[in-house]
Amino acid sequence: MPPKPCSPACANASQVLPDAMDFVVTTLLNALTLISILMLVGLGLAISFGLMNVTNLAHGEFVTVGAFAVYFVQSMGGSFWLGLAAAPIAGAVVGCILEFAIIRHLYSRPVSTVLATWGVSLILQQGLELTFGLGAKPVTPPIEGTLDLFFTVYPAYRLILIAVAMLTLLGVVLLISRTSFGLDIRTVIQNREMAEGVGINTQRTYAIAFTFGAAIAGLAGGLVAPLAIVLPQMGVNYLANAFFVVIVGGVGSIGGLVAGSVFVGGLTSVLNYQISPSLAQAIVLLAAIVAVRLRPNGLFNGASR
Amino acid sequence: MIARDRNWLLIFAVCVVLAILYPFIADGYQLTVIRDALIFGLFAASLDFFWGRTGILCFGHAAFFGIGGYIMALVTLNDAIPFGSLLGIMGAVTGAAFVAAIIGYFLFFGGIRGSYFTIVTLAMGVICQQAAVSWSSVTGGDSGLIGIPPIEFDVGGTHVDLSQDLPSYIFVAAIVAVVVLGLWSISRGRWGTVLTAIQDNEVRAAALGHNAPLRLLVTFVLSAAIAGLAGALYVCMAGLVAPDLSGLLLSTEVIVWVAVGGRGTLLGPVLGAIFIQRAQQTISSFNPSLWPLLLGCVFVVIVFVLPDGILSIYARLKALLNGRRSTP
Repeated sequence: MPPKPCSPACANASQVLPDAMDFVVTTLLNALTLISILMLVGLGLAISFGLMNVTNLAHGEFVTVGAFAVYFVQSMGGSFWLGLAAAPIAGAVVGCILEFAIIRHLYSRPVSTVLATWGVSLILQQGLELTFGLGAKPVTPPIEGTLDLFFTVYPAYRLILIAVAMLTLLGVVLLISRTSFGLDIRTVIQNREMAEGVGINTQRTYAIAFTFGAAIAGLAGGLVAPLAIVLPQMGVNYLANAFFVVIVGGVGSIGGLVAGSVFVGGLTSVLNYQISPSLAQAIVLLAAIVAVRLRPNGLFNGASR
Repeated sequence: MIARDRNWLLIFAVCVVLAILYPFIADGYQLTVIRDALIFGLFAASLDFFWGRTGILCFGHAAFFGIGGYIMALVTLNDAIPFGSLLGIMGAVTGAAFVAAIIGYFLFFGGIRGSYFTIVTLAMGVICQQAAVSWSSVTGGDSGLIGIPPIEFDVGGTHVDLSQDLPSYIFVAAIVAVVVLGLWSISRGRWGTVLTAIQDNEVRAAALGHNAPLRLLVTFVLSAAIAGLAGALYVCMAGLVAPDLSGLLLSTEVIVWVAVGGRGTLLGPVLGAIFIQRAQQTISSFNPSLWPLLLGCVFVVIVFVLPDGILSIYARLKALLNGRRSTP
């Protein structure tokens, strides 16, 4: 059974017979939790897969590494927040090494990139298993308890998760649209040769962008750690979903990322109430395949590309 | 006949002779080990037929292996169905082909190629494994189905019973030989030439009047049908079917077999499957969790050191020697 980013039903909603408003708000918040995580994981993939044309199958392991970072810090006696700060750093370190050792040598060989990154993914999974041992790792959330939201009560940690994710996304948007580094990235994406011509170090820009995406995925892993089952193999589920976020939403814009996350995350959350999680996952992926057939350039992009 | 074809047939003949001689020197257990490895070799050849000729990597080929296996198990375990073995094999082949046709239609005619195809097929593998786990009333859930009877059927008045080691080995080896030879003759003929043209430049091939999506679709369906056949054979020999058979790990292992054996050679993947399985059994006997670690390293090493498989070492050495000689 694959670990889910968030449990299908909030405890309070399922114990008492939920009235309609309660049900709607809880579903919405559950969906929002999942959508937030998917956006963070998908962001790195949108950079590597969507913009650099690198199919990185080890992207899910950045999430795993982030989650394990939180577990490790907590098991050493540190607080959750310290772990959450360590998570993106851990993701960035792994991402940086991966870019430096493997991906930059394979930009012109897409199938080789697929094989090599999958190999790295297996190595990281087994490496974590050999280091930390078998079985799920416990991660405790920084705050227990629920928050009364007038219509419903909802676990406080999940609200924090949504807030952190939204703030991060806002930060990324500002970084890309307002800073000179963001300008470099946009230039390299539009035309690599011309960017080199005007004096931008494209290899360095790619490396930084890739590392940055890995860091955000690591942060996502740290954020879900208290909700998910922390296992070395947890990354694969996020990998497939995040790829669909990017493919369904269409590459090249934050809007597409949001649209894809809402599609995949929203559908998963709604279906999770009706049927078993595995079946829900299967149906969502099938729906995504059909969506790609109908809108090959993404939900958001229309015919612009 | 060009030299490459002659060499291929020569190696094929050597393999057939070795396969015929093997029962004289091996005991029953060794026969079953090679038999199971040959079935995975057939699976590897099915992937190579698609990947090697089209250059498009399918990352969920085990889905078809698993579909074939589950259909075979369900048909043979149902006492109400007569001629279970034959109908099971037919059902497995058509079932896998049918699923491939539906998915392939959406992908090939939707213009999905390259990395996108790889990702979607990866998800397909995940879907199949999860369906096998969650649809437990039919598939037996996590533990799968056990007690699948060996293949038996009547042909021309003689009763064929494959519960013994030697008959089942001969049966499997014969099927693998025939299928590999058949795939090879398809892929070296006009069909393969057109596929190569599509791989090189799909727009240009289409401009020359070739229906590229249809060609790719038919190749994909054929490849999936053979994967289904391999799955059906495997569950009868193993006697059980489990969700792992359609899982991501098997999907990636088959890619390694093909990559190690040499993509596009059809025979190389069969040999790759046999050798790597032997290595896997040896390594797993020390420490089971060591194998995926090593598998990952093999992936990385292949990409950087041997992009054309083990068989390419010979060609490379030759090119190296020739290069030395030709330099003044």
